[in-house]
Amino acid sequence: MVHQVFPSPRLLSAIQRYGLALLSVSVALGAAIFLESLEFRDVEVPLFLFAVAVAAWYGGSGAAGLALILSCMSFDYFFVKPIHTLYVTASDLPYFAVFAAFASLVTWFSTVRRRVEQELRQARDKLQIEVLERSQQASLLNLTHDTIFVRDMNDVITYWNRGAQELYGWTPEETLGKRANELLRTIFPAPIDEIRGELLRSGRWDGELEKTKADGTRVAVASRWSLRRDEHGRPAAILETNNDITERKRREEEIQLLNQQLARQSAELAGTNKELEAFAYSVSHDLRAPLRHMAGYTELLHKRLSSALDEKGHRYMAMILESAKRMGNLIDDLLAFSRIGRAETQKSVVSLEHLVKEALAEVREESDGRDIVWKIGTLPNFYGDRSMLRLALVNLLSNAVKFTRTRPRAEIEVGCTGETRDEVVLFVKDNGVGFDMKYVNKLFGVFQRLHQSDTFEGTGIGLATVQRIVHRHGGRVWAESIIDGGATFYIAAPKPNDI
Amino acid sequence: MVEDDPKDVELSLVALEEYNLANEVIVARDGEEALDYLYCRGAFQNRSADNPAVMLLDLKLPKVDGLEVLKQIKSDEKLRMIPVVVLTSSKEEKDMVASYKLGVNAYVVKPVDFHEFVNAIRELGAFWAVINEPPP
Repeated sequence: MVHQVFPSPRLLSAIQRYGLALLSVSVALGAAIFLESLEFRDVEVPLFLFAVAVAAWYGGSGAAGLALILSCMSFDYFFVKPIHTLYVTASDLPYFAVFAAFASLVTWFSTVRRRVEQELRQARDKLQIEVLERSQQASLLNLTHDTIFVRDMNDVITYWNRGAQELYGWTPEETLGKRANELLRTIFPAPIDEIRGELLRSGRWDGELEKTKADGTRVAVASRWSLRRDEHGRPAAILETNNDITERKRREEEIQLLNQQLARQSAELAGTNKELEAFAYSVSHDLRAPLRHMAGYTELLHKRLSSALDEKGHRYMAMILESAKRMGNLIDDLLAFSRIGRAETQKSVVSLEHLVKEALAEVREESDGRDIVWKIGTLPNFYGDRSMLRLALVNLLSNAVKFTRTRPRAEIEVGCTGETRDEVVLFVKDNGVGFDMKYVNKLFGVFQRLHQSDTFEGTGIGLATVQRIVHRHGGRVWAESIIDGGATFYIAAPKPNDI
Repeated sequence: MVEDDPKDVELSLVALEEYNLANEVIVARDGEEALDYLYCRGAFQNRSADNPAVMLLDLKLPKVDGLEVLKQIKSDEKLRMIPVVVLTSSKEEKDMVASYKLGVNAYVVKPVDFHEFVNAIRELGAFWAVINEPPP
């Protein structure tokens, strides 16, 4: 019982406690007898009371009780007449009762004091633990990169973590006790009363604020406020978390600006495209009509003068007609070329094998009566616009047929090479006249021709068309050749992720 | 024949002459004139009310363009049976799609080469005026 009430290291074991009672009473008795022998009078009662108090203080109520009984007996035996007996006269009983009551009172006071002291000690321990926890929490808050500070309802800063120091540049010592929004020169997006109203209503607020650092630079922060209430429910403090969004805002603004630019550019581009379309339309209409007329009237003239014309005259007429026809072809090719730039690509999975077969059928006409050995390898699937890819293949095959014309036996190979994880590479190889690699950069340009037109006819648009088609598929096109040693054209196109 | 370019008219007529069809050709120089002819109004109010056997229609025309003429013909109960052949310089896919959607009977791109042009016109004339049975 005593152990439970006073669980203290100073607590003595039962023997020690009762021994203490015995000892203190013995000391008091000894002192009293000694003092009496020196003719001091009536000192025994305060001494015994002191002994009881000492026993009560250090030994608890049990020891106090023992000390009380021993004191009474000693007092009775040594100081109350008849001396040296334990006999108590009736007239002495009230005296004993008062002594016992007084001793009990001393014991009780002492016990109460001890309890109070004990409680105080417990409270102190608890407080210490709490302080420890709090400081741990505070150091935890210091660990976070977020900027956190606490201010009371008068806007006075009461806590300032390391994140806040890092962001704003003030140490906690410099900020504690200062008014937060004065120090930080906060600019609010709304009237402060509105913000406070929302905070008091819902317990929280968040928004974007502009503040000033210690070095004077402005900083945009995403700010979250939480209201802390005291035990009576009254608003006590505001915990504010800030995240620096200056960079993000700058980037957002940049993106917005870029988007605006992009929108303007695509509007311009759409306009240009429209113009181009109108241009192509009128080219296809208005340029062809005069050509047709030139050819038509020349033909009529030819018919009329046929007999009167000499050989030269016939040749001149033929030249006019041929030129008209050539220009017609040029216009057609150019229009097809410009259409590739303007048309939407409609992509799907295309079997290159089928496509090559179709393209072959188309160039067959050009290869009639020729000895051509076709070597078609295994071909993968391609992801792209079918009709455009077909046109590109037709152009490549037709070129191969054209430039092997001087060979008694042409060899044309179509195959796939160096396929990687994200690219398909197709090649068309011939044993034709080839070209000088010196001019390879001109090869894919519009109207660029590396052969004289009386040796190999053409408009110079075919390879430009191929390149444009490949580029529209996000691919690459290149060629290798040796003069008179054949040429190889490569098309590399990215594989889509889903096939 | 609806054609604004006199040279095209002349060349076409030359081509048709070879089949002796030129005499029967009535030429309208723009879309409005073509519609006037079909509805027997304006300069054509005194003509006999028969529909032509075939209409050769250019697309790029002054005032009312070819597609608009085609649209009016094909949406008119009395005229919609007239076979209409679009005869144009342009190979624009857009025009071709629009014409077929409106119910054109044929779409011919005039070849630059005169021989091909003559052949095309001749065959058209022969097919629509001789071989084909016109609607009642």
